[in-house]
Amino acid sequence: MVATSTRRDATAAWRHVDVVLLGAVLIAACLGLVMIYSATHQKLEQELSDPGFYLKRQAVWMVLGLGVMAFFALVDYRVFRDFAPVIFVGTVVVLLMVLSPFGSSSRGTQAWFQLGPFQFQPSEWAKLAVIICLAAYCSQYRGELDWNRTISILGLSAIPMGLIYLQPDLGTALVFVAILMGVLLVAGARPRHLALLTVIGILGVVTVFQLGVLKQYQLDRLGAFLDPQVDNQRAAYHTLNQSKIAIGAGGFTGKGLFKGTQTNLSYVPEQNTDFIFTVVGEELGFVGSALLLALFAVIVWRTWRTASLAKDLYGTLVCVGVLAMFVFQIFENAGMTMGIMPITGIPLPFLSYGGSSTLAAFAAVGLVLNVHMRRFS
Amino acid sequence: MMTTSRGGESAPLRLGVLGIVVVSLFAALLARLWYLQVMDSQTFQVEAKTNQVRVVYEQAPRGRILDRNGKVLVDNRGSQTITVDRNQVKDKPEVVGRLAALLNIPLAELRKRMADVRFSPYTPVPVADEVPEETIVYLREHQDEFPGVAAPTRPERAYPNGSLAAHLLGYVGQTTKEELDARRSQGYREGDEIGKQGVERAYEQDLRGIPGSKRLQVNSAGKVLGPPLQESSPQQGRDLFLTIDLDVQTVAENALAQGLDATRHVYDKASKKDFAAPAGSVVVLDPRDGSIVAMASNPTFDPGQFVNGIKPDVFRALTDPAAHFPLNNRATQGLYSAGSTFKLVTSIAAVEAGLIDARTTVLDGGSFRLNKCKGEKCIFRNAGGVAHGRVNLTRALTVSSDVFYYQLGAQFWNLRSQHGDAMQDVARRLGLGQKTQIPLSPEAAGRVPDPTTRRRLHDQNPAAFPNGDWRTGDNINLAIGQGEMAVTPLQLATAYATFANGGSVWEPRVVDKVVDQQRRIHRQVEPVKLRTVSIPPVVRDPILAGLTGVIASGEGTAHSAFAGFPLNRMTVAGKTGTAQVAKKQDTALFVAFAPADNPQYVVAVVMEESGFGGSVAAPVARRILEKLAGGTDTGAAVVGGTE
Repeated sequence: MVATSTRRDATAAWRHVDVVLLGAVLIAACLGLVMIYSATHQKLEQELSDPGFYLKRQAVWMVLGLGVMAFFALVDYRVFRDFAPVIFVGTVVVLLMVLSPFGSSSRGTQAWFQLGPFQFQPSEWAKLAVIICLAAYCSQYRGELDWNRTISILGLSAIPMGLIYLQPDLGTALVFVAILMGVLLVAGARPRHLALLTVIGILGVVTVFQLGVLKQYQLDRLGAFLDPQVDNQRAAYHTLNQSKIAIGAGGFTGKGLFKGTQTNLSYVPEQNTDFIFTVVGEELGFVGSALLLALFAVIVWRTWRTASLAKDLYGTLVCVGVLAMFVFQIFENAGMTMGIMPITGIPLPFLSYGGSSTLAAFAAVGLVLNVHMRRFS
Repeated sequence: MMTTSRGGESAPLRLGVLGIVVVSLFAALLARLWYLQVMDSQTFQVEAKTNQVRVVYEQAPRGRILDRNGKVLVDNRGSQTITVDRNQVKDKPEVVGRLAALLNIPLAELRKRMADVRFSPYTPVPVADEVPEETIVYLREHQDEFPGVAAPTRPERAYPNGSLAAHLLGYVGQTTKEELDARRSQGYREGDEIGKQGVERAYEQDLRGIPGSKRLQVNSAGKVLGPPLQESSPQQGRDLFLTIDLDVQTVAENALAQGLDATRHVYDKASKKDFAAPAGSVVVLDPRDGSIVAMASNPTFDPGQFVNGIKPDVFRALTDPAAHFPLNNRATQGLYSAGSTFKLVTSIAAVEAGLIDARTTVLDGGSFRLNKCKGEKCIFRNAGGVAHGRVNLTRALTVSSDVFYYQLGAQFWNLRSQHGDAMQDVARRLGLGQKTQIPLSPEAAGRVPDPTTRRRLHDQNPAAFPNGDWRTGDNINLAIGQGEMAVTPLQLATAYATFANGGSVWEPRVVDKVVDQQRRIHRQVEPVKLRTVSIPPVVRDPILAGLTGVIASGEGTAHSAFAGFPLNRMTVAGKTGTAQVAKKQDTALFVAFAPADNPQYVVAVVMEESGFGGSVAAPVARRILEKLAGGTDTGAAVVGGTE
């Protein structure tokens, strides 16, 4: 290897790009385009709109995402470490702004900036920012996280997490918890501290339920998973039930592309975003869904592999953060459509329609590619 | 160096732990996927199907009901209705407001009608019936202001003759929960119409038709997508040709109603007030095969009131005891003592048993005294105490000599070891005290009393029947049709028909044939002979002579009622009856058949609290027979007569 290349010498690093990860991500994103078209074209046709409306927009996001990914791959990941304090402060400021009158709300959640015809959702980017900052902060302790350091890490993460919870976006806040736990585990937190945090986390969830801190819709959605019989949770239960019917009705080989009745007749709500997995389940069946999970497994595996190959602890922790984010989102999203996880609005990476989430996911992959490329430099 | 640069000895181990967690999460997802899509997929596939397809039913028009000559008794007419498609007006309250104003009903009332749960969400709900033409025109011209509002015509029952033959035809109404539960397998649904009484009920399966259905694809919001996947139009039910003759039925009802009305102005010397004459019934049947030619029950009702659901106050009025229960069909449900019309039975039994023959005479001194018995209760008198002198069987019938039959009743009791309950046996053979099997329910069975029934009644209800023993006096009373006898007018008609036709007991027939909408005969309802009773000439001849005399003979009890009747065109045989009823005025009865030598019609008339059969019931029968003899109905009033 060219040991003499400088940190900003990209030409050398390009040779070590992880084509398997790149390929898996591209396949997943293309599948996402097809699924979004399937979920939306029928309804759009009925409304006499362009059936490819969402498809085209998502394709634009995908192309932009590739650019963003290139950017996050080409700029040496260690540069981000140098700017970590700035990134952190900037993220907190933006999250504060979205809660201010500058932000716009939809369905009771204030989580967007309206920029012309597009919406910008800062919480998606905040996930990446927190991954970089956590990795930068933890890596300086070289695997020695005592109680005080662990507490300080928790305190720092609590700020953006709390702001997102206030939007309120419980799902994304939970992604932060996953990222935090993953990074703490690999960064060297003591096992007993991790155990303690887990216990506190569980107690925290129980307390939140008991004190009624959660808004009614959050309880309803979570409750639909816990107890589908209760009456006032009917709407959420209905969603869950229709979602399970869609996936179950797909059977082993699926009903065929664009032939899902649950999908075409819009029985499952938000099917191009949070419930996109049901389209895969209904139209492509067990074969298609399992292949999609396999595709995700490849992405996660390559990220894990990059984490273990990384040149420094910071790179490892960045990959671990991305891995935790992806795994939690995949498990939570797919799990909720199948009724084994509570319903929260988290996108399925590369599949769900949405600009901010798509760009952020590509950016996250860019970071992993970045660490992989520079594992020798 | 590599190890330390990655930070800490335990990093690979910790990454391993992370890997295990990740693998187990993916394994959980895959396992769940396998369960949903492979193991339990069948359930979900069924649920997905029922999700998207809704079936909407449309009731078929019922078959028509026609008389024996094809004249329409019950028809369907297109009722101009207004319907609202709830899906289309869901988020347009202004449309509902406009419609309420157009129909001139309160908004709350319209909303209530729209919320009718009997209709599927995919069926437009009818909110108004029999809408005036100008409203429909306005609606059509301003259709853009009324999206989701339509004005279809809906078939509903129409009765061109009003209340005519109401009891026999019956009426239709919405299925009750019980009716629905019993018929769900036959495809009945909430809100379906069903025959509630009479022919509408008895021939429900023929009349109903086949509902149409549409299989619609709907989305999650219940919006119908595209044309129906499958569609079948409703098929009208089959038409019924009844045995009823519309003209005879009309005369029968008019004669009965006017007869009752006239009787209400006649003074009853026994109770010292005018006759109440609240109710009555007429049966006209063909003794040759049991076909019902006319069947009237008064008071009556208008089956049209039941169309689209009867109003509660109207229904209360129809079920009010003070109105004498107009919904009851007295021809098949009314129970009466037969009075002297029972003497036909006693006569047959007596000749059969050999107690008398045509030549046997009795001296009728106006009363009959029971042997070895003292006191007033042992004396049985003729009606009005009239003495008829020497009477044989024929004359006893013609003048209605009670003494003649008292004597026979006593004899039967004395010789009961030899003849058993001979009068009751004959009565039952002729069809009295049992259901005639007419296909109209409910039908009362009634009762022919004998020592066993007396004992049973007493044991069941000692207060109402204080005497459990059967005595000679009971037999004497039975001989003239008094006592605990309870027979329906239809049973009386059947019994006389059996005598008239020479001994065949026919099941009364109401429907002649069932015809489908292509005018092909679907089913011919054949007459059913239940049994044959032997009535040899030695029995028949003197009785027939006596019954003919009732009308033709100058001393016959119905002679004056038939004064001026064209007996040369149609001879009539019959028997009057006046039955005493505890705490009520007498029941007037008259049963006749004609022509006497070749009977084609039996006419039975029973009028409650109306007095003498000869003076009240016979004139009603006369009017009907006049019509049957080919005359025109003159609307003759009640004429007097004696028992």
